[in-house]
Amino acid sequence: MIADRQACFQLKASFFPCTILQISHYDLNQLEQQLFATIQRAPNFFLGSPVIIDLEKIKDLTTVDFSQLKKVLINSSLVPMGIRNGSEKQHIAAVSAGLPVVTIGKNSKETTQPTTEPEKQVAQPSTPGSKLVTTPIRSGMQIYAKDADLIVLAPVSVGAELLADGHIHVYGPLRGRALAGVRGNKDARIFCQKLDAELVSIAGYYLVKEELQNDADGGMMQIYLENEEVKLTKCGR
Amino acid sequence: MAEVIVVTSGKGGVGKTTTSASLAVGLSNRGYKTVVIDFDIGLRNLDLIMGCERRVVYDFINVIRGEANLNQALIRDKHAKELYILPASQTRDKDALTQEGVQKVLDELQKTFDYIVCDSPAGIEHGAQMAMYFADHAVVVTNPEVSSVRDSDRMLGLLSSKTKRAEERREPVKEHLLITRYSPKRVTRGDMMSLEDVNEILAIPLLGVIPESQAVLRASNAGDPVILDEESDAGQAYADAIERFLGEDKPFRFVSEKVHWIKRLFSIKEKEHA
Repeated sequence: MIADRQACFQLKASFFPCTILQISHYDLNQLEQQLFATIQRAPNFFLGSPVIIDLEKIKDLTTVDFSQLKKVLINSSLVPMGIRNGSEKQHIAAVSAGLPVVTIGKNSKETTQPTTEPEKQVAQPSTPGSKLVTTPIRSGMQIYAKDADLIVLAPVSVGAELLADGHIHVYGPLRGRALAGVRGNKDARIFCQKLDAELVSIAGYYLVKEELQNDADGGMMQIYLENEEVKLTKCGR
Repeated sequence: MAEVIVVTSGKGGVGKTTTSASLAVGLSNRGYKTVVIDFDIGLRNLDLIMGCERRVVYDFINVIRGEANLNQALIRDKHAKELYILPASQTRDKDALTQEGVQKVLDELQKTFDYIVCDSPAGIEHGAQMAMYFADHAVVVTNPEVSSVRDSDRMLGLLSSKTKRAEERREPVKEHLLITRYSPKRVTRGDMMSLEDVNEILAIPLLGVIPESQAVLRASNAGDPVILDEESDAGQAYADAIERFLGEDKPFRFVSEKVHWIKRLFSIKEKEHA
């Protein structure tokens, strides 16, 4: 019976933080020593932290020993996730050493497509812990409030994207996407004056436009997470 | 110092070149020395709309590459006194436009002109970005339909991030909305977005509403910018838009359905009975 069948997995959107280790000089012994020194300064920050190795600056080097490099990182309690920006030969060598080629992060050549504009300059940190935007956020724009709430005092167009580690407030129509608590804060909420969004998400749990339409009643709404389910209510209730 | 106006839209076929031509003629007829530049390298159109295609010798790219000087390339318009056209090249592509090259040409034009109108190509790629980069004003041309409105919205995003003014954090580019091919009849029938719908999404000052009109195609084919057709509704609407651009307050015409006098008579009768 289909009804008895349990779902084996659930796909969730996420913005996983990841450190880029850009190697500027290839010397494994020195690398290990320097990593050790750096990690000593902030052990909790680096312990088990995922890293992507950027080869941009040593692209022409053919002698990189990827399995040794991997070992050095693991010994330093880092988790190497893959490499990027290397030469073709380096890519092949890395893959055979168990390091996949990844194409995420800002500097990656493969992903510098003109799909998103840089954040508008008008977005300025106001009080610590919040980011205030007063001009319309147009289609194709992306605004991210890192470690902060995002407050928007203008319309958010279809095709625009708001991201915040904290809450998102929109005093205007929200027609684009809004993702609050993108680094996993399940207490984050979205508040908006007129909900007409393409997608809303709290800590990776999301609802798309079709699911939103029935519940948005045109007034001030809030979106929050309850028992891993995205809920919508009118504000002030 | 001349003011640089970019006429842009994102979407193709909405009336950018028609608007550039009429804007340029309108401004020069009001006494401003104006030059209009075709940025649509490879798909030269402006010279056709302006009716000077047979007088093109040198083009914008020739000037950028130093193969001709500006005076050799500028074509004097036959309709207006103080109007010149800088045509696009048909044999090159948009990559021939370099930021330094465009700046050099604009700097030189700044010395003698009051307004520089830049007719942007469609799309959001290099050519369009070069056309908008140095702008002081942007006339965003939009048809009352969803895809055009969305592209214009995207364009407005680029204007606020990818222009010289944005990069230097100066006062932003002044945005003006121009709605073209508007048909009040179809709006009433519900198969076209209304002025209010478009304005709600784009939320920038409305410069003009140009009605859907036979006169536009007729003017394009003849090579006479439609603003010169003073009898036509589209021509009058462009003239109004110019006045608004220059800071005058003009009521909007051609935005509601014309009601035939017999119909109007009946509706009065109906009201009396009611």
